[in-house]
Amino acid sequence: MVDFFIKVGRSGLEYSSALGRSGLFLFHSVFGLMLNLKGLRLLVHQLYKVGVLSLVIIVVSGLFIGMVLALQGYSILVDYGSEQAVGQMVALTLVRELGPVVAALLFAGRAGSALTAEIGLMKATEQLSSMEMMGVDPLKRVIAPRLWAGFITMPILAAIFSAVGVFGGLLVGVDWLGVYEGSFWANMQSSVDFKEDVLNGMIKSIVFGVVCSWIAVFQGYDSEPTSEGISIATTKTVVYSSLSVLGLDFLLTAVMFG
Amino acid sequence: MYQRSIEITVGVFMLLGFIALSFLALQVSGLSMDSQKDTYKIYAQFDDLGGLSVRGRVSLAGVTIGRVSAISLDKEVYSALVEMEIFQDVDSLSADSVASIQTAGLLGEKYVSLSVGGDEEVLVDGDTIFDTQSALNLEKIIGAFASGDISL
Amino acid sequence: MIIDRPMDRDKLLDSYIKITGLNFARGHRAIFNGANLNIPRGKVTAIMGPSGIGKTTLLRLIGGQIKPDSGEILLNGRDVTKFKRRELFDARKKIGMLFQSGALFTDLSVYENVAFPLRAHTKLPEDMIRDIVLMKLHAVGLRGARDLMPSELSGGMTRRVALARTIALDPELILYDEPFAGQDPIAMGVLVQLIRLLNDALGLTSVLVSHDITESLSICDHAIIIADGQVIGEGAPSELRKSESPLVKQFLNGLPDGPVPFHFPATNYRTDLLG
Ligand SMILES: Nc1ncnc2c1ncn2[C@@H]1O[C@H](COP(=O)(O)OP(=O)(O)OP(=O)(O)O)[C@@H](O)[C@H]1O
Ligand SMILES: [Mg+2]
Repeated sequence: MVDFFIKVGRSGLEYSSALGRSGLFLFHSVFGLMLNLKGLRLLVHQLYKVGVLSLVIIVVSGLFIGMVLALQGYSILVDYGSEQAVGQMVALTLVRELGPVVAALLFAGRAGSALTAEIGLMKATEQLSSMEMMGVDPLKRVIAPRLWAGFITMPILAAIFSAVGVFGGLLVGVDWLGVYEGSFWANMQSSVDFKEDVLNGMIKSIVFGVVCSWIAVFQGYDSEPTSEGISIATTKTVVYSSLSVLGLDFLLTAVMFG
Repeated sequence: MYQRSIEITVGVFMLLGFIALSFLALQVSGLSMDSQKDTYKIYAQFDDLGGLSVRGRVSLAGVTIGRVSAISLDKEVYSALVEMEIFQDVDSLSADSVASIQTAGLLGEKYVSLSVGGDEEVLVDGDTIFDTQSALNLEKIIGAFASGDISL
Repeated sequence: MIIDRPMDRDKLLDSYIKITGLNFARGHRAIFNGANLNIPRGKVTAIMGPSGIGKTTLLRLIGGQIKPDSGEILLNGRDVTKFKRRELFDARKKIGMLFQSGALFTDLSVYENVAFPLRAHTKLPEDMIRDIVLMKLHAVGLRGARDLMPSELSGGMTRRVALARTIALDPELILYDEPFAGQDPIAMGVLVQLIRLLNDALGLTSVLVSHDITESLSICDHAIIIADGQVIGEGAPSELRKSESPLVKQFLNGLPDGPVPFHFPATNYRTDLLG
């Protein structure tokens, strides 16, 4: 019994110390971005690795999700004779929920895990240590550009995801199932509001971007410098990011649309 | 050279993001540059809105010419007062225009449909349309049908 | 605070690093308990000791990467353990450390690895950086390998590139962790000469961690032997060879049995095997 409490207490302490460490870490790295040409170069390089390389999976998934939404929406709406509302349904679902959430989940799996593994390996092979010993702060040089690249990339990916999804909905709804194109757009436009829906969706994706990138780089930086440690850290990145995204999405939805 | 091509693709990537956001803004949410342009307000009173809501479309001959900007209850006559913003370039709505609430499809969204009359005079900012038709209320029709007031 | 007695000051003048009462434990295992040592300025000092005794740890302590549980580590008269983050990074610009594993940046080419500290800390124009990088690579015999990636290098080459990177900024103090491991006799001879040359020509202070007793003793001016968390012998190579201490004798002669255990602390072999 006492053992149990000691265990709970110890793991509680461990969690809060990890949280504290990661908070400090976030603080140092967010403000550690070098605002000069060299810093910009590093950032661009990471934008390429984190953003551009995630583009294919985002576009393909967005297209399919939009198409599936249109197909399902149509088969339900057609019973009520309001199949022209399919555009509205696809757009609202994507812009408010699926765009930010699925893009964040894909980001965690594609870019987040890669970031963790890369940083973890740099730690295990003493690259971070040797950088430190050269008087170069790895938080500034390695972590900050990756973190900021994640912050910037996430809303872009979410916007692309939603846009491609709407296009997929158009393909299935209009070209395949024959919904009249004029009412497809008109319905959508009259029910989707820029501020309420599009901007709130963007805010969601910004929050997700911060959380996912933070988790990914911190897990890498804090990993045990062994191959097992790196594999554990990578798994943690995907699990923690996904859970945080889903939990935060509920909270944000309750605040924004509730 | 390598660095250069990375820079270019990253630039294209950011541009794509911008295009996607513009698409969401303009095409999906219908935030048009001209909705920012001048509009004038006209009012209409209805007995029953039947589910018309703010941001609903106002159309003339099927073309969107404005949107519903506010809905309130006129306490004196107990009817609904609908405020509509009409695009400035649609400036020749005759004063005896008729406003009716219609449904897109059987259960679709409600919108205000205007049809113009023959009056020389035109509606200007602040005018009210008196000749209105309320929403077709499906429940009332079904109720009337069930009680035998209407027969097929 | 440190230089309050004249006698200490005299000693301080000729020691670049002065460690007193160093205590450090990993978990429950004490790596250092109360070790004291001096590293003289402008000389090559070899630190020797059995594997796993804490030589790498000592270098990390000197570089301020880990903090001791107690004790002072004076670097040029200033206590490393009390440095703020900022001061530490500034101090490290004057320290070069060659890691045991080399620790090259795997996403940069050999050339860029050596150029890294130059780009980070100087505003030299590109053609000067190029000259310096090629000079340093030439010194370790790898000028021709400049365009290779670290994954294309052998273990010994990796370490030589790392050495070139370490000396790129001409630091005041160089800490070499096992520079000879994995080198063929020719490369080894060149490295020995190089370390000696750098030290004498540039007036640096060098600290060399190695298992290779003959090589180390042949190039160092001062040697320190650690075992059991303590310094067990210290002095010029010739003095150490004449030492009567059984610990030092055992280590220098490479005898498996003696006061210094070959085995990591463990339970009795027999009972362990018999379960
Ligand atoms: N990160 C760590 N966590 C826990 N213990 C460690 C860690 N790093 C090293 N140790 C322990 O500290 C001791 C000293 O390690 P160190 O790397 O300093 O040895 P060393 O003298 O350099 O050995 P070698 O000559 O084999 O390189 C080792 O016994 C090791 O078990
Ligand atoms: Mg070692």
